[in-house]
This record gives sequence, C-alpha cells and structure tokens, in this order.
Amino acid sequence: MANEIKPGIEAEEVEGRIISFVKRELLGPGIPVSLDEDLLSGGLLDSLGALRLATFVEGEFQITVQPSDFVIENFRSVAALAEYVRRSIGREGAGAPDTGN
Amino acid sequence: MSTPSRVLLNRVIDAAACRDPEAVAIRCDGGAMSYGQLAQRTNGLAHLLLETGLQRGERVAVFLGKGFRVPVGLYGVFAAGGLLVPIDPRSPSEQVIRILRATGATRLVTEPGKLEVVQAALAACPEVSHVVGLDTDEGVQAECFPWTSVSSTVGDRPPDVGVAESDPAYILHTSGSTGVPKLILHTHGSAISFLEWAVAEYSLTPEDRLSNHSSHHTCFATFDYYAASRAGAATVILTPASMVMPGSLSALLEQESVSVWYSVPTALVHLSLRGSLEERDLSALRWVLFAGESFPERHLLRLRQQLPGARFSYAYGSTETNVCAYYHLPDEGEIPNPVPIGKACPNSELRIADDNLRSVPPGEIGELLVRGSTVMSGYWNDSEINQRVFVQPPSSAEPEDPYFRTGDLVRARDDGNVTFVARADLQVKVRGHRVELEEIERSLLSLEPIEEAAAYVVPDREGSSSIRAAVVAGNGAVPDRWQILDSLRQILPPHAVPEKIEIRADLPLTPTGKVDRIALQTVAAKEVGRDGE
Repeated sequence: MANEIKPGIEAEEVEGRIISFVKRELLGPGIPVSLDEDLLSGGLLDSLGALRLATFVEGEFQITVQPSDFVIENFRSVAALAEYVRRSIGREGAGAPDTGN
Repeated sequence: MSTPSRVLLNRVIDAAACRDPEAVAIRCDGGAMSYGQLAQRTNGLAHLLLETGLQRGERVAVFLGKGFRVPVGLYGVFAAGGLLVPIDPRSPSEQVIRILRATGATRLVTEPGKLEVVQAALAACPEVSHVVGLDTDEGVQAECFPWTSVSSTVGDRPPDVGVAESDPAYILHTSGSTGVPKLILHTHGSAISFLEWAVAEYSLTPEDRLSNHSSHHTCFATFDYYAASRAGAATVILTPASMVMPGSLSALLEQESVSVWYSVPTALVHLSLRGSLEERDLSALRWVLFAGESFPERHLLRLRQQLPGARFSYAYGSTETNVCAYYHLPDEGEIPNPVPIGKACPNSELRIADDNLRSVPPGEIGELLVRGSTVMSGYWNDSEINQRVFVQPPSSAEPEDPYFRTGDLVRARDDGNVTFVARADLQVKVRGHRVELEEIERSLLSLEPIEEAAAYVVPDREGSSSIRAAVVAGNGAVPDRWQILDSLRQILPPHAVPEKIEIRADLPLTPTGKVDRIALQTVAAKEVGRDGE
C-alpha cells in the first residue's frame, strides 16, 4: 500500500533533485524554495509549470504520473511531491498496476 | 432596448438581495455567502468609501486575490458611485503604480496579504488618499481602514448616488507589459447590455452556479460575477491551487454542482487531458463557454464526449467589445475547424472591411469591425488611439455609432458564420492573455547589456502558445539568462515573461533587414514538437 517504499532512494535525495529542478527550470536560481512552501496557492506554479514538473519526475524517477494523480495533495509542496514520488516508486517497483488513488 | 427599471451595476446586489436574501451569491473554498450578506458588506464598503469623501466617478482600485472580498470590493465601489479599477492580483508593484497613476485612482481596496506590494506602490502614488483592507498604516502615507470596519446593518439599502446608464462603470487593463497598459473604459450601459444578453442566451436562473476561473480584472469576470448576480445565481470562485491541478478542479466542479463554465480553452484542455472526468459526475454542467483563443479540434471533440450533458459555446469578443458574436457548437457530429466566431449578438453589428474600411465581398478576408451597445466607450484618456480604433466606414449614409476595429482578420463562411483567420498586428494570445511581442522586446532592450532582442511565439503542447526570446548583448558581454529572467519578472506580468531566452551572437534577418521572427519560430517549433498527448 502507500508505505511500500523502495529502499535505496532516501527522501532527502528525492527532495533535493526536485528542488534543484524547480530552481533551475521553473523559478530561477535566485528564488528560494523551502520544502513545505505552498507551490500552488501562492501562484509559484502555473498549470504549465505543474506539467513540466510532472514530466520531470516521470523521467527522473522512472514513474508514471497518472491523470488521477494531478491533485493538490500530490503537488502542494516539494515535500508532498517527493512523498508521492516515493510512494509511486514503491508501487511500480512492486510491479502492481498503478491505479492512482 | 433600455427599460425604465433597468438595474445598473450599483444596484445589482441590492436587487438580488431584495428578491431572496438567503440565496447563495458566492461560494469559495467550501464556504458560502448569501445575497443578504453580500448586500450588507457591499453597502458597508460603499458607505465607508463615501465617508472618505469619494465623489461620483472617482477611481477606486481593487487589488485583491481570489476570495470573498473580491465581490464585496467590486460591488462596493459601484454602490458608492465610484469608477472601478480592478488590478491583476499578480501584478508586481511597478504594474500597480502604472495603473494607479494612469487612472488617477484616489482610493485603493486591498488586503493584508498584499501589504508589501501596496507599500511599494503607494510610496510612488501619493494621490491615493485612503486604503481599505490593511490592518496597519505602517509605511503607508494614506489613511488605512481594516476589513473589520466594513460593515453595515441588515436591511440597509445602498446609498443614493444617482448613477445613469451612460456613466462610466469600470476601467479594465490589458496585460500591458511595459509602459502604460491599455485602459479600457466601460459604462454601466455597455456592461448591462452584455449581461442581459448573456442571461437570456444562456437562460441563467437563480438555480445556476457559474464558475469563476479568471481573475477579477479580466472581461471573463464580467460574466462570472455580474451576469450571475444579475440572474440571482451563485458564483463559485475557483481557488488558484485547484486551477493548477485538474484532478482537484474536476472534483470541485462535481462537489459544487457547477452548471455554467466560462474560461479560455487552455483550462478546459487541461481538464480534459488530466481531470479524470470519467470518474466525476458533472451532470449539473449544462453550458461550457470558452473565449480568448481558438480551441484545438481534437481536444474539443474529446471534451464534448467526456461531457455529454453539456452544450458548448464559443463567445467571441475582446475586453474592448465584450462578447459581440457567438457560436453554439453542434451537440454531435463534426465541429467546424477552426471553430467559427459565429454570428453577431442581437445588440451588435459586425462588418468585414478592407484597409479602406469598405466591406469585402462575401468569403474574402478582411478586418472585423464591431458596432453596438456592448462596445467600450474608449481607451481611458487616449484620444489618439481612440481616433484610430473607432472608425466611420465611407458607406455610412446616416450618422451612426462608429465601428471598433478589432484587429482580427476574418472571413465569412457560406452559412454566414464568421471565422477567424489571423491577427493584423503583433498581438498574440498566451493561455488566453493578450501579449504584445513588441512590448516584451522593449522590456528586454531596457536591460543592460542587451542590444538586440526578438520575442516570438511557439505552439505549446496544449494548443496554446508560449513565448520565447532571443537576445544579443553588446561589447561581447555574456549576459546571464537567469538574471535577465529575474529582471523581466520585476517588470512583466507572469504570462508575458518568456519561457526561454536564448543568447545569440546575432539575430536572423529577413531580406528587407527586419528581424526574422518566423525563422526563430520555425527552429523552436521543431524543437517543441507538436504532439498534444
């Protein structure tokens, strides 16, 4: 279920890679982003940015972001997205079909 | 058309509240505000503004993020007889300053979350004497009132401010990247003419729930708020977070039983591709209206299939004209590609004209001219542009209202429906926002050490466009593209900031020596690819 996490990728590692992408490609290096910062309500991410972020995590962590996963809970912050990525790795690593939530 | 009992914008909420004070006016984030409550707060704001000495027609800016305060701000200014200036909530302080100065606003309605931007803006705008919505007047010259001081007694009526139909009601600003954005002045009459058409054409009733996707400074909000209130229906304000996440958005539409949707196509494409629509019950949704740019056919066909209970309608117009033409899509079968602009609304006249303003023969391409009661009274304080955009065709026998030049090149089809062909200028649409490429280039050129700049559009994967730019630096300097982007973010609204900036040794030129945007565009378009899914 939700907590099957593939050993080998630590939360910090996933968070770090997402943060560096967000800074490099979406916001620019000058803008600080914290783990729990609200990316959605504050307007940091627009729908196009969210899409680019999803495409990035798909390629970077070899997961598939299902349409049903495009929800606030998964993309609210870097920490939330990292958590979602690690859940997906666990799910897909176990060979189970991804049914979203 | 006008009747003695025509309700103007200053009385719309009062009329709805007198009819049914318990009816829901606004829903947002799971909460609700009734017409009675909205009337009370609207009247409260109006009285407060009048107590500050506000005169009829004085400009009152409303700078608010989405939420319950927005309708109070909009209707409160109308009820006080003020001339409303809604400001894009994402504006950096430079943009706020430009709009306050250009409109000569003397009052500002805002909220604590905007304190920093407001402080910076007001330092440069001493003519703003009163601010409603700040808890502190720290760092602000003007007299400040908190939102808690906005109140009135139940059953209070709006102040008698003697507003007439021909009086100015609001000034909308376009995305305006640099310099002074275009300021578009509408009267109570031009707004009401549009609303009454919309209420009738889409059969809006108190049972309806209209989505509010766009921010309150756009012409979309004119429909979402004013048409809804005119009909006594509810407006469901969609929060920014739900708008970015299509799965959450579709869940919200189900939960709120939204019955009428109005937005740019991009938002609907996202919803269709990633909104898990098959898992939602959206049977309450009966009208889907879109406007602002063309809707890619394959996305539209799929969406129509996903929402079998809804009818689709393309509302054509601009901030200057309101909706002046419309096209209801067939419920099944083929959809004309591109979706036609359609036919004129009954309160408008369309004419397709050549450069000399003479009507072109049927089927030939010409510029679309619009005349009618929904058209703006003009650009604010800009008689030079007004003279250019309002024209009198040579064939007019009788004196009549001038036509507005839309800048859209169109053609009439055999069945009488008008179809968009191209823009006559360098204005482009980016996810529904108007952007002038030349303004972006001017912004780039204002930055050291850029000497040449070209902005151009490439199609994005959603059927809309994104902006890119190519720049050349002087003296062999190597500018940092992040620094350029950072600087641009200070002066441009987010949708006008190029997605990518390329540093080049030179720009490609056409044989006549102009910057060859098409060459830049072609290379970039290949790179992006055109597949949509």
